[in-house]
Amino acid sequence: MEEKLPNQPSSNYREIPIRDLDPKALGSLSESMKLSLSVEDMIEIQVYYEAEMRREPTDVELECIAQTWSEHCKHRIFGARIEHSGSEGEEVIDGLFKTYIKEVTERIMEKKPGFVLGCFVDNAGFIRLDDDQAICLKLETHNHPSAIEPYAGANTGLGGVIRDILGAGKGAKPIASCDVFCFGPPDTDPQTIKADDVIHPLGIMRGVVRGVRDYGNRMGIPTISGAIQFDPSYIYNPLVFCGTAGLIPITDIDKEMSSGLKVIAVGGRTGRDGLKGATFSSMALDTESHEEDQQAVQIGNPIEEKKAADFVIEARKKNLIVFVTDCGAGGFSSAAGEMLSEVGGNLYLEKAPLKEPGMTSWEIFLSESQERMVLAVKEESMPQLIELAGIYETEMTEIGDSDESGILKVWHHGDLVCELDNSRLHDAPVRHLSSKYQLPSGTDHDWSEDSLSDDLLSVLGDFAVGSREPIIREYDHEVQGNTLLKPLAGAEGDAPQDASVVRIDDSEKLMAMGLALLPEWGKTDPQAMGKGTVDECVRSLVVSGANPDKIALLDNFCVGNPDDPEELGMLVETCKGIAAAAEAYGAPFVSGKDSFYNYFETDDGAVSIPTTCLISGMGVIENESNVTGSSARRSDSLIAVIGTTDSSMGGSVYARIKDQTGAEVPRTDFEVALNSYRSYHLAVSEGLILAAHDVSEGGLAVSVAEMAFSMVAGIEIDLDSLPVSGDLNNVQKLFAESSSRILIECESGSIDRIQNIFSESAFAVIGRTDPSHKSLRFKSDGVNILDNEIESLKETWKNVLTPYY
Amino acid sequence: MEKRPHALLLKFPGTNCDAETSRALEEAGFSSEILPIACVDEKSLGSAQLIVLSGGFSYGDYVMAGRLAQLEIERRVGDALMKFRDGGGYLLGICNGFQILTKLGLLPEGSLINNTSGRFICRWVRLERRVDDNPFLSGLPDNFELPIAHAEGRFVAPDGAADKYMDEGLAALVYSEDVNGSTNRIAGLTDRSGRVLGLMPHPERFLWDSHHYDQDWRGDSDGKGSGYQMFKSIHNTISGEMAHEPG
Repeated sequence: MEEKLPNQPSSNYREIPIRDLDPKALGSLSESMKLSLSVEDMIEIQVYYEAEMRREPTDVELECIAQTWSEHCKHRIFGARIEHSGSEGEEVIDGLFKTYIKEVTERIMEKKPGFVLGCFVDNAGFIRLDDDQAICLKLETHNHPSAIEPYAGANTGLGGVIRDILGAGKGAKPIASCDVFCFGPPDTDPQTIKADDVIHPLGIMRGVVRGVRDYGNRMGIPTISGAIQFDPSYIYNPLVFCGTAGLIPITDIDKEMSSGLKVIAVGGRTGRDGLKGATFSSMALDTESHEEDQQAVQIGNPIEEKKAADFVIEARKKNLIVFVTDCGAGGFSSAAGEMLSEVGGNLYLEKAPLKEPGMTSWEIFLSESQERMVLAVKEESMPQLIELAGIYETEMTEIGDSDESGILKVWHHGDLVCELDNSRLHDAPVRHLSSKYQLPSGTDHDWSEDSLSDDLLSVLGDFAVGSREPIIREYDHEVQGNTLLKPLAGAEGDAPQDASVVRIDDSEKLMAMGLALLPEWGKTDPQAMGKGTVDECVRSLVVSGANPDKIALLDNFCVGNPDDPEELGMLVETCKGIAAAAEAYGAPFVSGKDSFYNYFETDDGAVSIPTTCLISGMGVIENESNVTGSSARRSDSLIAVIGTTDSSMGGSVYARIKDQTGAEVPRTDFEVALNSYRSYHLAVSEGLILAAHDVSEGGLAVSVAEMAFSMVAGIEIDLDSLPVSGDLNNVQKLFAESSSRILIECESGSIDRIQNIFSESAFAVIGRTDPSHKSLRFKSDGVNILDNEIESLKETWKNVLTPYY
Repeated sequence: MEKRPHALLLKFPGTNCDAETSRALEEAGFSSEILPIACVDEKSLGSAQLIVLSGGFSYGDYVMAGRLAQLEIERRVGDALMKFRDGGGYLLGICNGFQILTKLGLLPEGSLINNTSGRFICRWVRLERRVDDNPFLSGLPDNFELPIAHAEGRFVAPDGAADKYMDEGLAALVYSEDVNGSTNRIAGLTDRSGRVLGLMPHPERFLWDSHHYDQDWRGDSDGKGSGYQMFKSIHNTISGEMAHEPG
């Protein structure tokens, strides 16, 4: 190797001859460089260099194109043309994103002008909070890093999405975070794991929770909301979703690049950690991943990010920022691409502060080292920015400038190592895929009523339902002093709530944050899952006090192998479901993300995750008095239910405990649901609702029990009063997970007015709280079929995770 | 217009409760200013009647909590905080601020180490006030609640010292139950002058009824929470002193 004198730094790049390669050789090149590009992609690149550039590409350019075109960054499956054979026969779908997300949102935006203030383009989606302020939300997945390095993977997963918010608009202030995990069951027998080096679900869970804890807590952003799914199909490929919400003045949402600006990097230095993360995320996992891909996982330093965050927000307040974005997947290449792709400009790699010497040109350009923000600023703002960087002790470096060329030029010690015409760079070939789906014919099941009391304890003690308290308490969910409806609340401070609510300084309005995912439903009926998931998310926000007409959603998908037509078919059907529901509820998708190749090559073949669709949402609460918790508050009140219970037990926790698969999954009737949500909101606005809880996982029995966990009174429910559709036995009444239902607690004096409000909905008083005992009693045909001490139910529910965490 | 007492909040890289603590101080009647440590010199402390070290993770707290912040304060201004106290100023340290004040030797000797559970704990706790005339606590009832959120909140002291702090009225606040393994359940300490208070709980997170986890919690008729009462107490003490100052 040629020796270089230390005082003569130089660029370090090479030309990669591709113009003479045949398709097979192009494919091997992609593989050996780990570019994750298909042969078709490589041919497209070859044509570009042959016809347009008339030269060979540099390694910097190839790496840059590979990350830009990666599934992780470009979402090519959501853009693909899909021939689908499914619930509506044969059809050609011109892009899942366009058909089921973007166009749905555009139609809703037409009907609700002024509500969505930005979607799909920027780092996060924005909605109007009040006349002056907007809120925004973004969720990301960090699955593969968390599989091989749980602590660091989750740590930087949260760190990354926080930077998305800091880079949203001209710099939004992060005000709340959420996290959702899908893990193998904590009690998985290690002998059943059929691949080397796979980390046991317990190790994954502990590492991931601590990773989120140590980043979120140090950043001073409350982690207010979350969920965990446990299923053996997540053992090899766990899922980690991290989300953050932000607040920004409406006037600071729009940003536009122009020529003549300085490009500056702020925050952490650039190193070899996190090389090729974007392409790594776009491949399947196998045992080798655990050995080889460690360098793809970044190392987090939340204090570095905290300093950069303080700097960005202060700079935005002082009006010093023209454009800002984060260094996420792809590092400088994607940040610079985003900033300079239209106007053009120069980036000087030798100016970037490095963690270590000897980095090659592409390593600097593509590194995904954490805690870096990139800003475009006016030259006259530089003195003030330098002063701010000094005050907040963060490193700030000028690394480039914008011009009018329309071409991104990357220099390293005077050599032009990358020159890309960005209008072409972003034109990845559209993929053509085919998919199929057939709804399995429903199977009949007997739901035995022989052991209701044991069944209730089994459901409350199931991993799907049990309290998340040990994990929630590890997160500071009250920093910033605005968390009004906390994840655990009620008279004893430890009962579960639906959405979480944060107050907003200088506003009457508040933000509710909620989420839902029902992968168990999707195993039988992905379209019903899509509908039910949107319904549950919207409902959780409404229950907590949000205005049903001021809700925006995010879609985050995780899928196994998209090249398998059946797996892709499940995704297509899921998309149909969420699109129909979102449109009916008028709840636009404002942001989202998808993650593919969530499967693992075990010794016994590939194991894919079930199609997993996380719907998260933010809703506007009109005023503080509308904030509604889920815990019973009085000992002389009435309990009523909104919505109909039907016989569908598919996807329920109960069916799962009884090993019953294939039963019909609940339907969602949007029109009926939306009407009842609006009525509910009216009742909330009139101050008639003491408490309310959605009926979801575990069914009515679990929801009533959870309401009772505030321990203020006993509760008695008469199942004969329950509005039902069809002929249901008591198991179905207690444990079915029918959509769109809400339990409420109200004063007996308010019931006439409430009944009047719900005259068009399925609504019935089904029970009452009772001061004379502390038991949960369910009656059917005049006899008590369940009679349990609430305290012992609560103990069962509280101790599900404690042995493991 | 009556002059408001002025509070200065020192902010380190990693301090993250400064904004809401500043809000709490303003709500109680202070004027307040957040001063990043890079801007702090001896002169900048002169304008304040109260210096507050708010919660967070100064420099990440990767070595003992508060240690690097202590060194940075000493490097920049030496013993200026001690002089500030001796000159009649008041000092409040919340959570990480308590840890820093302890490291600076402004509070009785001891250390705040990892909770016995080894975990971060975010929950509400019941507290007992064990001193009557402390300027920060005089407006509070004998028992009240505040939230805690810390990984290193277990107070330990040299042999017998913690008992002495209890006897001598330096252990101003104790938890009603053992939450983190603190010796004698100590949650907050004051110094012999009574002008310095450090506590692990977060008063700035309980300004109003609506902050409480129980929607039916009611404090006084103004809808204010116990944390507010703490800031109001020190505000009243300082404004009382200011009213008696000549000029």
